[in-house]
Amino acid sequence: MTHPSAAPAVRLRNITVRYGARTALHEVSLNVIPGEFVALAGPNGSGKTTLIRSVLGFLEPSEGSIELFGRPLSGLSVRDRARQVAWVPQEEAPRDNVPLEEYILYGRYPFHRALEGETTEDRRIARDLLRALDLEDRAADGILSLSGGERQRAVLGRALAQSAPLLLLDEPTSHLDIGHQLDLLSRVRELAHRDGVTVIAALHDLNLAAQFADRIVVLSRGRCHADGPPSKILTEALLAHVWGVIAERRIEPRTGRPYLIPRRLLAESSTAVGTDAFGPIHVVGGGGAASPYLRALVDEGFEVSAGILHLLDSDAETAEALGIPATVEVPFAPISPAVRERHRALLSQARAIVVTPFAVGPSNLANLEDLGARSAHVPIFLVTGPSIETRDFTQGVATRLVRELEAGGARSVGGIEELLRELRALAARAVPAGAAGPDRGAP
Amino acid sequence: MPNVRPVAATPTAQPPRSGTVPTTRRRRTITLLVLALVALGLFLVSPFLGTVSIPFETVLRITLEKISGGALFPQPCTGSSGPSSTLCQAYQLIIWDERLPEILLAVLAGAALGMSGGALQGLFRNPLADPFLLGLSSGGTLGASAVFVFGVGQSEAYLALPIFAFLGAIGTGLLILGMASTRYGSVETLLLTGVAIANILGAALALVLLYNPTASIQVSFWLLGGLGQGTWSTDGIVFGVLLIGGTLLAVHGPELNLIQLGNDVAQSAGVDPRQIRIRVLLLTSVLTAVAVAFTGVIGFVGLVAPHVVRRVVGSDYRWVLPGSAIVGALFLLSARDVSLLIFPSSVLPIGIFTAFAGAPFFLYLLYRQRNRTTMGGS
Repeated sequence: MTHPSAAPAVRLRNITVRYGARTALHEVSLNVIPGEFVALAGPNGSGKTTLIRSVLGFLEPSEGSIELFGRPLSGLSVRDRARQVAWVPQEEAPRDNVPLEEYILYGRYPFHRALEGETTEDRRIARDLLRALDLEDRAADGILSLSGGERQRAVLGRALAQSAPLLLLDEPTSHLDIGHQLDLLSRVRELAHRDGVTVIAALHDLNLAAQFADRIVVLSRGRCHADGPPSKILTEALLAHVWGVIAERRIEPRTGRPYLIPRRLLAESSTAVGTDAFGPIHVVGGGGAASPYLRALVDEGFEVSAGILHLLDSDAETAEALGIPATVEVPFAPISPAVRERHRALLSQARAIVVTPFAVGPSNLANLEDLGARSAHVPIFLVTGPSIETRDFTQGVATRLVRELEAGGARSVGGIEELLRELRALAARAVPAGAAGPDRGAP
Repeated sequence: MPNVRPVAATPTAQPPRSGTVPTTRRRRTITLLVLALVALGLFLVSPFLGTVSIPFETVLRITLEKISGGALFPQPCTGSSGPSSTLCQAYQLIIWDERLPEILLAVLAGAALGMSGGALQGLFRNPLADPFLLGLSSGGTLGASAVFVFGVGQSEAYLALPIFAFLGAIGTGLLILGMASTRYGSVETLLLTGVAIANILGAALALVLLYNPTASIQVSFWLLGGLGQGTWSTDGIVFGVLLIGGTLLAVHGPELNLIQLGNDVAQSAGVDPRQIRIRVLLLTSVLTAVAVAFTGVIGFVGLVAPHVVRRVVGSDYRWVLPGSAIVGALFLLSARDVSLLIFPSSVLPIGIFTAFAGAPFFLYLLYRQRNRTTMGGS
């Protein structure tokens, strides 16, 4: 038997939880060490609440086991559980206008013996909590008279009154405004830190999770998708994969923690007929010029490839987040023959090529050089932007190449909408004729 | 983000109220004591009221003589205006063997019904719950009607009626309990189960009475409720059951308080809602069954008493449960007394009176102020 202090606060071993025929959690394993603040993230229906309810003992896993501080949960009585783990639900709707202090004292129930009322110790704990939660002057007021933010703080107080070493919160901030969200979570972290309480909180808001948690566990369709510190977990790729959302990742300069700015939904199915069967569309870009086009084309349902991009370039990150195949070169290096060869392979498979207005320098000139060979086979679209002369850093070579493409029949398009119109028309003509097939070479 | 400062609490416009918890606790104790004293006063006044007019002094003398075992007023009827000895013996019979047991039965049955109503409203988190909504009384009525239908002789009926009524009521309680423990459904499911069972029992009763018209008159009187069956021995039984069952029920205040926050919250705080459900249903079934067995169907006590108590002591079930017992006793006793004041010469079935007086009073409480302390929610 391990020493209790050495045991994890929570240990889930391959737990599977079913609601009838539906499996809500699928072989989830998780170890939470004492004192950790773990955020549970994941879309609606991913199993966050199920996991929390399982740790509370409300649901019994059909397979696997749960231990709290080294003791099997199933061996604990309801009262013993209440001394080990406290719970803050999403929203507690009290019916009765109980005075706040008495409401906090309800949390002391697991320590009362039969017929025993509150002790002076209980009252001291309640007073301490009221003070810590800035609710001291509301002690005698009914809980129904509290504002939403105050009430959720009161719920936190009632849970903390259980003096349990583990605190579970199930989306505790979802009914609060942004100020009260920050307020509640910073209090949770502060009090948990003060008393060495382990916290597991299901949080909808990934940025709040990144801000407060030591560790984020991402659930997706009942499985553990990712688990680690916020800096590792919060990526654009994660948002695209798990939430189907295209977002931008930034770093909060003061804390070094990542945050995400959600941009738009990653469409799961095509919005235009035939776009998904049309074949790959290759986008040439760099320095961020390609990103909006990559997103728009993916949204539209097209298969998309990209290149040649430089690692750490924002276009490269977008391509990665969207799961777009792209040729990538190390930063600031001239393009190597091997990468160039791979790029040619992508180009040869493309059914159309889009050239975005990127800045052309010696290191990425190869992007334009290889296009000329394809102009006879597939339509090339040149997106108009700043004129090529203003973004040509190759002593006119780039400008000459663009002019050659124009002469070879490349069409200019004014922006994303025009480009999409052209491509939709192209796809509509090609697909009903049965042109799309395994052969994705030139028509 | 360590730079986040906690948002200041919403400024409170009103100054902190002076009523801290210990003083509200004292206030509650005083309130319940006052209610108990009013009930006691009413209890002392009640023997003077009855269908037969007996002089005040004679009532007092007879009562004191009986209570003191003859030490005081050994000849209770020998006052200055004393009645003849035959009349005195009749008075003694009326006061000692009829009125006092009746009054005691009113107190005991009222307490049992009141506390049952309070506990059920707490368990179901529903202001409409009471022993009758769940069908406990319908079960009792069905049991009683069996006695009338099978035509048990008058002498055996006094014994058989309460036994069958008790069995009918407790059987219904156990049936609901059995259904509740097979599947742990929501409280709404359980409450509706009770309502459905009550309707089935009601239909069964109607069917039985359709084919037994003579029994139906007796049953309809029984349905109106009455204190006439009160004797010292029945009171003893009800008292014993109330003492044990009522005490066991009354200690469930803390658990019912947490259950008001939802079964999940209660469970997370250490209350096993399933266990509490079984215990409370079992105890209220026993308390209701014993009241129904001797008084028939007396409505509104279990419904009104907890509402009144919540008005005066708040919604803490540690106070609501004993308070409902006191108010239930007070309510039934005053129903008896007021009905005798209005109709001094006739024995009005008390169930009629509790409904006539209780329902308007209930409406008054509901509409006087929509205060959420009376389970205003949902």
